[in-house]
Amino acid sequence: MMRRPLVFGLCLFWALVTLFPLYWTLVTSLKPPTAVNGGPTYLPFIDFVPTLQAYRDAFSGIRGDFIAPFVNSSLISITATALAVLFGTMAAYALVRFEFRVRLLSGLIFAAVAIGGFVLFNEALGYSRAEAMGLAFAVSLPACLLANRLPLPGPVLGNNDVLFWFVSQRMFPPIVTAFALFLLYSEIGREGFKLLDSFLGMVLCYTAFSIPIVVWLMRDFLAALPVEIEEAALVDDVPRIRIFFEIVLPMARPGLIATSLITLAFIWNEFLFALLLTTSEWQTLPILLSGQNSYRGDEWWAISVAALFGIAPMMVVAMLLAKLMRSGLTLGGIR
Amino acid sequence: MADVRLQGVSKAFDEVTVIPALDLEIADTEFVVLVGPSGCGKTTTLRMIAGLEAASGGTITIGARDVTELRPGLRNCAMVFQNYALYPHMTVADNIGYGMKVRRMPKAEIEARIAEAARILGLEPYLQRRPKQLSGGQRQRVAIGRAIVRQPDVFLFDEPLSNLDAKLRIEMRTEIKSLHRRLNSTMVYVTHDQVEAMTMADRVVVMNEGRIEQAADPITLYERPANTFVAAFIGAPSMNFVPAQVTAKGEGLALRLEDGSELAIPPERWERYGLYKDRAVTFGIRPEHNAGGDTGAAVIRMTARTIEPLGPHTLIIGEAAGRGYTAQVDSHFPAAPDEMVPISLDMSKMHIFDPETGSCI
Ligand SMILES: Nc1ncnc2c1ncn2[C@@H]1O[C@H](COP(=O)(O)OP(=O)(O)O)[C@@H](O)[C@H]1O
Ligand SMILES: [Mg+2]
Repeated sequence: MMRRPLVFGLCLFWALVTLFPLYWTLVTSLKPPTAVNGGPTYLPFIDFVPTLQAYRDAFSGIRGDFIAPFVNSSLISITATALAVLFGTMAAYALVRFEFRVRLLSGLIFAAVAIGGFVLFNEALGYSRAEAMGLAFAVSLPACLLANRLPLPGPVLGNNDVLFWFVSQRMFPPIVTAFALFLLYSEIGREGFKLLDSFLGMVLCYTAFSIPIVVWLMRDFLAALPVEIEEAALVDDVPRIRIFFEIVLPMARPGLIATSLITLAFIWNEFLFALLLTTSEWQTLPILLSGQNSYRGDEWWAISVAALFGIAPMMVVAMLLAKLMRSGLTLGGIR
Repeated sequence: MADVRLQGVSKAFDEVTVIPALDLEIADTEFVVLVGPSGCGKTTTLRMIAGLEAASGGTITIGARDVTELRPGLRNCAMVFQNYALYPHMTVADNIGYGMKVRRMPKAEIEARIAEAARILGLEPYLQRRPKQLSGGQRQRVAIGRAIVRQPDVFLFDEPLSNLDAKLRIEMRTEIKSLHRRLNSTMVYVTHDQVEAMTMADRVVVMNEGRIEQAADPITLYERPANTFVAAFIGAPSMNFVPAQVTAKGEGLALRLEDGSELAIPPERWERYGLYKDRAVTFGIRPEHNAGGDTGAAVIRMTARTIEPLGPHTLIIGEAAGRGYTAQVDSHFPAAPDEMVPISLDMSKMHIFDPETGSCI
């Protein structure tokens, strides 16, 4: 009897703790400068007279361009999410339904030939770095595929190892990848193919960076699907690719939606890659937000408006996710 | 329409051999039921015919084609699964028509076949529903409809009725049987239920631990089981097995049980059992070949433990000659638990088995 009010009270307290910053941002965005500078004020109409001036300023562009980064962020995150979910789900499906056997040695051969080939083409044969990279890759991939077919000694890796390899890509510090990617992009840029500060460059790196999470999440969703449904289609001579698109994907819809929303949030909020790989044209919202404070001084009403721009889409995503969780993310209805 | 031949087909999962070399010939238009206890390899055998599981050895032929290396889609089989395996996001009509759509059949032809299948299976009112909105029996009908429109060489059923309730199961049994008559095609049907096997099959293949124990028509299986496994598996309640010895009695033979009782062997069996004189055997007799009372030629006394009145007759379950024993008697035969009851045996229906190999003598 005593426990319920206590638990309720604690939940309420925690809700206030989490909601207050949102409230604070919202009211601050409505304040005139006087209401900010003269000490804290909390309640619109009582403490201060609300104004939409900060929003007007934002849209008129006198405080920097808000619209372009918002559009950039939207375009990049939606495209990269779509690609990552598509390819990641394909990879997850392959890991669930087929057995892979990868010889560790053939992986090492790939690394050795790729690095050695790069050095050879670049230093000895005088190709440019980007050309050498392409050539080394073109040689090392067939070499490794061929090596995998030979009865080489050493451990043979299975599906779980492949999965771990995917996930491990998210384990080392992103800054390492980000710098490497910066160098790679500028090198390719030197060949005349622009990836730095470009839509394609950002979409590519976010897609690659998100695929591990998609594989990780989708594998469990796909593993829970009854295999007999696909077998029925196989017996009926439905090609595997159509089974994937016309049977598996529709069945995995709840999982696809959840995974897409999570991935979208990741990309929308991503800061480090955007910081290093964009300069002006394709800057994303997080970069703009971080810049607000520094070059305009403490104009909190303006910063609040900018922050709300960043938060609002993710709040919609969070609410959709919550709704999905309540209605049972799992396979209700499939049987 | 085609026959199916399995020659030396074996299956191993990793190092575990589940099916040692297995030979089976299924004639064109035959209805064959694979039956056996859970885990004996029925599903694996069926899946190897379908191509969903690669055979580890041997060859599989359907009609004139060696299909051993062929992918499932090219074998022209249709399979019905235990849990229906319908496409959950498609309507009944789309479920039935999907395969044909993928194979780019003309639209009119697809619709005609869907309509025909729906008519045969009584699915016409449900064509626009999703599987979720159907009962188990209706779902299984959709799965069968999906198989029919394929017009396959061979139908494969894997325990299609085991998720249905008892009454529906009996209905669907007759329905599948009449479907077989109507389509006149080869069907391979897997079940663990011996009643289902007996009632539906032209020929029953009894499997145990990956091997075929006996393949025969239902009556032969019942009357002349090849070994104790088949004898025990086919028929309910199960056959009684009592250790016994074949002894000389006058100019003929008799069986001596461990409690000392002697049962005369009918003269027509003397020659067959002559070789086993003075040897230990397993005597088998089905519960239904017993009668209450001591008026028959061969009588044993059993201790009743449980009396099960079933209506048309009553089962007495207890012990005889130190072994578990079940007798089927007249409903009005007086018997009470923990009493000794005399039971007359119809020795013309007796079986004896080699106690070592279990084979029928
Ligand atoms: N994919 C598999 N991997 C390993 N063992 C399996 C696999 N499928 C079936 N088995 C084994 O093979 C045996 C036969 O299985 P199954 O054909 O499903 O039996 P049944 O259908 O007669 O019940 C069982 O012992 C089962 O554990
Ligand atoms: Mg089975």
